[in-house]
Amino acid sequence: MRPSPQASDTAVTTPDPRPRAGDDQPTAPSVLSAPIVQLLGIGKRFGAVRACEDVSLRVQAGEIHGLLGENGAGKSTLMKILLGLVVPDTGRILLRGEPATITDPSAAAAHGISMVHQHFSLVDRLSVWENVVLGDRGRVDRDRARTLVREVGRRYGLEVDPDACVEDLSTGQRQRVEIVKCLRRDPGVLILDEPTSVLTLEESRELFTVLRRVVADEGKAVILISHKLDEIVHATDRVTIMRQGRVVARRATADTDVRSLAREMVGRELSKWTAASAVGALDALIEPGTGEPTGGTALLDVREPAAAPAPDPRPPAGEVRLRISDAHASTTDRRPLLRGLTLEVRAGEILGLAGVEGNGQAALGDLLSSLLPLSAGRVEVCGAPVVAGRPGAMHAAGVGIVPEDRHVSGCVLDMSVAENLVLADLSSVTSKGLLSRRRMAARARQLIEEFEIATPSPDTPMRQLSGGNQQKVVLARELAAQPKVLVAAQPTRGLDIGAIEYMTERLHAAARSGIAVLLLSTELGEILTLSHRVAVIHRGAVVGEMDRADVDTERLGLLMGGQAA
Amino acid sequence: MIDDLAMVLASSVRLTVPLAFAACGEYIAERAGTINISVEAMMLGGAFNAVWGASLTGSASFGLVFGMLAGLVIGFVHAQFSHRLSVNTYVVGLALNALVLGLTSFLLDSVDLTGHQVDALNIPVLSDLPLLGPVLFAHRWPAYLLVGVIPLVWWLVQRSRFGLELRAAGENPQSADVTGIDVRRRRRQSVLLCGVLAGLGGAYLAVGEVGAFNQNMTAGRGFVVIAAVIFGGWTLRGTMAGCLVFGAADAMRLALPALGVHLNSQLLIAAPYLLALLTMMFLAKTHRQPAALGAPFVRGIV
Amino acid sequence: MTPTLISERAPAVAAPPADPRRRPRLADLGTPLLYAASLSTALVLAGLLIALVGQSPWDAASAMYDGSLADGAAIGQSIDQAAPLLLVAIGSVIAARAGIFNIGQEGQLLVGASVGAAIALFTPGPGPLVLILALLGAAVGGALWAAIAALLFYWRGVAVVISTLLLIFVANQAVSYAVNSPSLLREKAVAGQVTTSQTDMLAESVWLPRIGEYPDFNIGAGIFIALVLAVGTSVVLVRSRLGFRVRMLGLNPKAAHRAGVGAVLIGGGALLASGAFAGLAGGVMLTGSGHRMQDGFADNVGFDGLLVALVARDKPMLAVPVALFFGALRAGGGFLSATGVPRYIVAVVTALLVLATVFPAAYAEVRRRRTAGA
Repeated sequence: MRPSPQASDTAVTTPDPRPRAGDDQPTAPSVLSAPIVQLLGIGKRFGAVRACEDVSLRVQAGEIHGLLGENGAGKSTLMKILLGLVVPDTGRILLRGEPATITDPSAAAAHGISMVHQHFSLVDRLSVWENVVLGDRGRVDRDRARTLVREVGRRYGLEVDPDACVEDLSTGQRQRVEIVKCLRRDPGVLILDEPTSVLTLEESRELFTVLRRVVADEGKAVILISHKLDEIVHATDRVTIMRQGRVVARRATADTDVRSLAREMVGRELSKWTAASAVGALDALIEPGTGEPTGGTALLDVREPAAAPAPDPRPPAGEVRLRISDAHASTTDRRPLLRGLTLEVRAGEILGLAGVEGNGQAALGDLLSSLLPLSAGRVEVCGAPVVAGRPGAMHAAGVGIVPEDRHVSGCVLDMSVAENLVLADLSSVTSKGLLSRRRMAARARQLIEEFEIATPSPDTPMRQLSGGNQQKVVLARELAAQPKVLVAAQPTRGLDIGAIEYMTERLHAAARSGIAVLLLSTELGEILTLSHRVAVIHRGAVVGEMDRADVDTERLGLLMGGQAA
Repeated sequence: MIDDLAMVLASSVRLTVPLAFAACGEYIAERAGTINISVEAMMLGGAFNAVWGASLTGSASFGLVFGMLAGLVIGFVHAQFSHRLSVNTYVVGLALNALVLGLTSFLLDSVDLTGHQVDALNIPVLSDLPLLGPVLFAHRWPAYLLVGVIPLVWWLVQRSRFGLELRAAGENPQSADVTGIDVRRRRRQSVLLCGVLAGLGGAYLAVGEVGAFNQNMTAGRGFVVIAAVIFGGWTLRGTMAGCLVFGAADAMRLALPALGVHLNSQLLIAAPYLLALLTMMFLAKTHRQPAALGAPFVRGIV
Repeated sequence: MTPTLISERAPAVAAPPADPRRRPRLADLGTPLLYAASLSTALVLAGLLIALVGQSPWDAASAMYDGSLADGAAIGQSIDQAAPLLLVAIGSVIAARAGIFNIGQEGQLLVGASVGAAIALFTPGPGPLVLILALLGAAVGGALWAAIAALLFYWRGVAVVISTLLLIFVANQAVSYAVNSPSLLREKAVAGQVTTSQTDMLAESVWLPRIGEYPDFNIGAGIFIALVLAVGTSVVLVRSRLGFRVRMLGLNPKAAHRAGVGAVLIGGGALLASGAFAGLAGGVMLTGSGHRMQDGFADNVGFDGLLVALVARDKPMLAVPVALFFGALRAGGGFLSATGVPRYIVAVVTALLVLATVFPAAYAEVRRRRTAGA
């Protein structure tokens, strides 16, 4: 029941025959002591879902340790266990060789474990210093807290005004506050969960410089959770790879490369494009002869090249279906969301809109869901203007959308699958103001079959479906309405590989059938896999546009970071 | 003329005191993100229990303690239902208001109560000042507790660790949670504090000013308190100003007919609610209220 | 975009998908038991309370029985008491289903009744027509009072719960003013009589018709109005397109907006409808039993009706038996005075029952969350 550290460590099966060099060869002197964090045989189930199974992890002081895995591989659960937010079913935690029980976040903090959250844990209406001391114990000393914020800021190059109110700060500054909040407790271990998803390239680079300073100068350990291979390769010393709740490999970063990491992370053979999209391995996608999967440069063994849903190099140039011109919008408290956004999507093409998160993608999604009114500019569908923000206007005009967060505007969790399939098209199942249950059920059965939705029955509450199947319900409903334009916002976020493949195919099929498809994604890989044309959104405006064939990542990266190129 | 003015002002202050105690409590609760409409029940329960306690012990001062205990018990029930079982706070509040109104009316007809009143305390010298003396320095002794309670509440909310966590729980419970703050516990504690203070307010009304209990004695003062917190824009200073304005409106309603001035009494009674509604109309869009006010906290829901 | 509604329900949220195989579980079987235990506890507490003040709970129970169920007249009394409660409850259900928590029925009821009284007193014409006009007027009055809250919410973002609550007290004073002003509703002076702050008695021709004669079974027509509206509301909510839209708005306002459900139109409409039902309840009370407006006219019917909706968990058809039960409690309460048990025990029992009915569901939810491990 309680395996010894060694036994558990070796019990992990790796598909790789090579000795696990990274585990045994210390890279820094401090490594000679007991690992600063050691998780042994951790298991956790949520209902029927196995989030972690027999997971072991060793992190040494003085290293940046990457935790790599797809969405849903169990990384976040594992870290929540380490932080005391989730109680594991099995397994042990050793800190500096000593067994420890961590029951809540403050216990974790007392053990010197600190996390920079993916979605910030800051309280907007409090000042920077108040946020920094939040979660401490004892008396609140304002002057000391302010000094501390300045001091920590100076030491790591994270300057921020301690008296500023958090709600006035930019995303990058907020992350600084978040990191200062962690570092000022002088933690032994700093955990970062997908820290760059909200940052520009430049900000990301600064972040990694800071992290390097943290481990090099102070002998702390950093755990970097990511599913971005480039990031792992460039920023970490060692990496643990997880798949479906298990650890599948441990590597010293220097001994590995993007491709082998990708193979281990994904694990099963997939079409090249989907896999590359899922893991964000850009170089696999940006190669000569784009669109023609070639055996030699394939990321993985491509068994069925013909089935690879590579975009057709030249889609038929259809008429303009969706035209947004010079769109301006802002939040109720006057923060700008869109600043003169202009774009066109033609029938039969997929336009991928790339960009760092928080640059107006959500606002654009809201705009096309009729949730956001414009202060200036216009939206036209098939040449006819549509009133932005009026309930149902976009849908009536023929804009279908698979929204970024399906729970927010895509579906009604407490209604049945059948009801969710007719949400917006009630007229088709209504006569004289009354709903026909028979017609609703018939329609539901047809769509469930056509879109391969796994549900016990059409009357099952939407809440009980898996994420992938909920997404299928949304997609089925939107496509069944025979839209002129289909908007897919982060359509594969949080889905497993199978569901990603499904989604990819459906979007291609939609484009082939003549629908104009607009893809909003922060995953460059996904954009490159799917799109015929690529546009870049930055600070609420489209700053560049290119054909898929002309894509060059350097330029894309610069555009996404707001550099003119 | 001066005497009339002094009388109206003194009466304003007297009517403000119970509101102010309860409003301190409601202010704490609302900053923690919970709208406590059971503050009416707390005041009413406090008023009844104070008189009952005074009847049992023969001491009006003990009555105050009984009143606070009643508020605490009501706060405990509210806290357990709303911030442990996650029942909608308004539902709990409505039920508790109905329960306490029924219970106090029932008990009033069933137990023997005797009148008791705490002693007046005229501050030497100061109470002899013209105008200011009777207005500020000649009250029943518990009224002077406010001088300590108000700064203490301010310090508690704005300067203490507890208050910082309380405000975080009211503004962004999810963030507070991941930072290691037990949001529900803080909210429960805030409701308990509110109970003690509202109970004291009710008790003061009964054994401080009136000296007896009558059916539905608070008559909606709890809702006036909520109106005061809103009117004050969720600041303590504003809340106290609101109490003073509403206390004065009440005093004028009672005093003006005697002075021969005719002002619509219904309008004066409705004034607190109208003012609160107007304030919300103008403040609602400036987001001054705690962001998570009235929203139940469930871990993991963003 | 519209501000988020303060909803009685938890917001539409991502819960971990439940295992569909999980259905028959011990905890589910335990819930009815929990309800039984919880309700019994409430009644036992009330009994203890009566015993504590030296009275007999059995005498009280038997008096309550005499007043509410013992004979035809008592049953009729219970049903009469249930009618306005049911009307208020249906209105609350409509608003709650649209995601809006209206707790100002007490005020909407009063305003509705006053408008009804004004029409019934001052409109010439044949009795039945005036009666219908008065009832419609009462509904419109309640709806208009709720419209203030709707306006404040959709125009300025003022939370509906708070505004409807505060408007109760404004309504109290506004109606009190009207009933006190000779130029408005105060009763007309008759030589040699002192007027009090109440309206004139309504002419008998505008009273709601009654079926049966005291001392036999007799009931007012109010319950039929309420029942028809309860069934209608249930059908509309469950079966019609409009009802689907209302429910969609309540469960997920953003998805509803995208699908063409305007929050202002449908949500505001639901709030007005709930005000109209409360106003109608006031109209029924006026024309059916009191026949005049006076102090204490609303008698907590607005609050109790809201509690009926809460206990019925927002299901219109379930509200019918709950309203009848609460009506019986009220009717029985009238008979308590003979026993020496203050009638206020009814309010205590009512409130305890509400707490007792919200407890099991909440407890089950907490336990579910705990076992889910999050």
